[in-house]
Amino acid sequence: MNGENNDDNKPVLLWLTAAAFAAALYAIFFYVPTERTEGVVQRIMYFHIPSAWIAFFAFFIVFLCSILFLWKKEREWDIYAMASAEIGVLFCSLVLVTGPIWAKPIWGTWWVWDARLTSTLILWLIYVAYLMLRIHTDPGSMRARYAAVVGIVGFLDIPIIHFSVLWWRTFHPQPKMISAQGLGAGMAPSMVGALLISLTAFTLLYFLLMGQRINIEKLKDEIDRLKKENLYSH
Amino acid sequence: MDNLGFLFAANVFVWGAIFFYVFRLGRSANTLKKDLEALKESLHKSANK
Amino acid sequence: MNRYCNQVLALVWKDLAIEIKTKELFSSMFIFAALVILIFIFSADLSVVNAYDVGPGILWVAFVFSGAIGLNRSFMLEKENGCLQGLMLTPADRTAIYFGKLISNLVFLTVMETFILPLFMIFFNVDLLPRLGPLALVIFIGTLGICALGTLLSSLASNLKAREIMLPILLYPLLVPVVIGSVRMTSLLLAGKPLSSMINWLGLIACFDIIYIGVSIMTIDHILEE
Repeated sequence: MNGENNDDNKPVLLWLTAAAFAAALYAIFFYVPTERTEGVVQRIMYFHIPSAWIAFFAFFIVFLCSILFLWKKEREWDIYAMASAEIGVLFCSLVLVTGPIWAKPIWGTWWVWDARLTSTLILWLIYVAYLMLRIHTDPGSMRARYAAVVGIVGFLDIPIIHFSVLWWRTFHPQPKMISAQGLGAGMAPSMVGALLISLTAFTLLYFLLMGQRINIEKLKDEIDRLKKENLYSH
Repeated sequence: MDNLGFLFAANVFVWGAIFFYVFRLGRSANTLKKDLEALKESLHKSANK
Repeated sequence: MNRYCNQVLALVWKDLAIEIKTKELFSSMFIFAALVILIFIFSADLSVVNAYDVGPGILWVAFVFSGAIGLNRSFMLEKENGCLQGLMLTPADRTAIYFGKLISNLVFLTVMETFILPLFMIFFNVDLLPRLGPLALVIFIGTLGICALGTLLSSLASNLKAREIMLPILLYPLLVPVVIGSVRMTSLLLAGKPLSSMINWLGLIACFDIIYIGVSIMTIDHILEE
């Protein structure tokens, strides 16, 4: 995660991400055959699934950095957790919007109270609350500690929420990518390929955005530090 | 095949959201950089006095 | 260990003594829960819908809503007179403060629920008496879940500026599994199903309780830190 902070690495990551997205877009719109039953709308899946993966990955990073923060008490981990939560919420919103757009022509309704939809919505609410907590608290060690506790508590809830809504009800198409038959058994090879390229592109984008967000937070810290120094030296 | 509108809407939203976020990040990075420069300059001046 | 228990009990006793004198928490929680039930009765026409279908949900909404009020209030009372500062100056362990608060919150919520249940029976014309034993167990582990997480989050929210709104916003999404499970179990019980048919829900909520009591023990030091 430290790699993209220095300026030498950034263009490399930027170009890699751009190239991956170009490849992903080509694969999604030209290479992959149109799905027989769902038609052209199925192509939304190549954005929907990677967004879901990034959201989940980002929340896991929040959890990890929160633990590390409470353990080490270094500002660094607080910044990482915060940046990751923001990006996670962004991608979680993308999941929540692209899902209904796909569901309308396929299921006939925008929203059903299916297990995965419900848990994604709850997840979104948890991390929006996390960000709100950060907004409503003054910067400092208290905010970092509280946010870290919420980051840990929130992530630990995910498996429990998953089971509770699963037993509640489920209609979502079973994940085809990873099934009991093995990796990608339920999909045509070209579709798996396109999905993998898209996943790579989104993962690279995540790291790119993380680097940017972390830089901004560090700039803010630097300004605060200089201001304080200025204040006390006079 | 009349579902192209849905695909289009999804794409517009995904790209719109990502570009908006990148734009916001870029803008706040720029303002912060400017602030930092200004601050450093004023500090430098007051140190020279 | 004995000393630790004494500390926890002293904290619980302090809260109970204040409550017995003022009855502030109980009265506000009880009235609020009764109001929630009343509003839901107006919104769901009981002559059309089956009380057994909507009842459990409304009951738990009332518990969770007025529970959040009680949780919010209980730490605010500590904050108001600098009482929390005093508690933290005592040699008591931070986890003892957590357990003291957890137990007193649990007692307040349970008392509120015991008074709400008869009201629920009368308003909804539901006979709970034959299933009272299992129902008490279901309500207890659900309330323990609300209190385990709620005490941790209210200790955190009490230091924020927007504390009245932050506690529900943080608490409700995290409580979703407890609410779903408790509502499900309550409706199964009302339908006459035995407790053994809902063992998965019981296990899930027990897991929730254990996980969040554990997490609270590990993180309360970082919240009650000045």
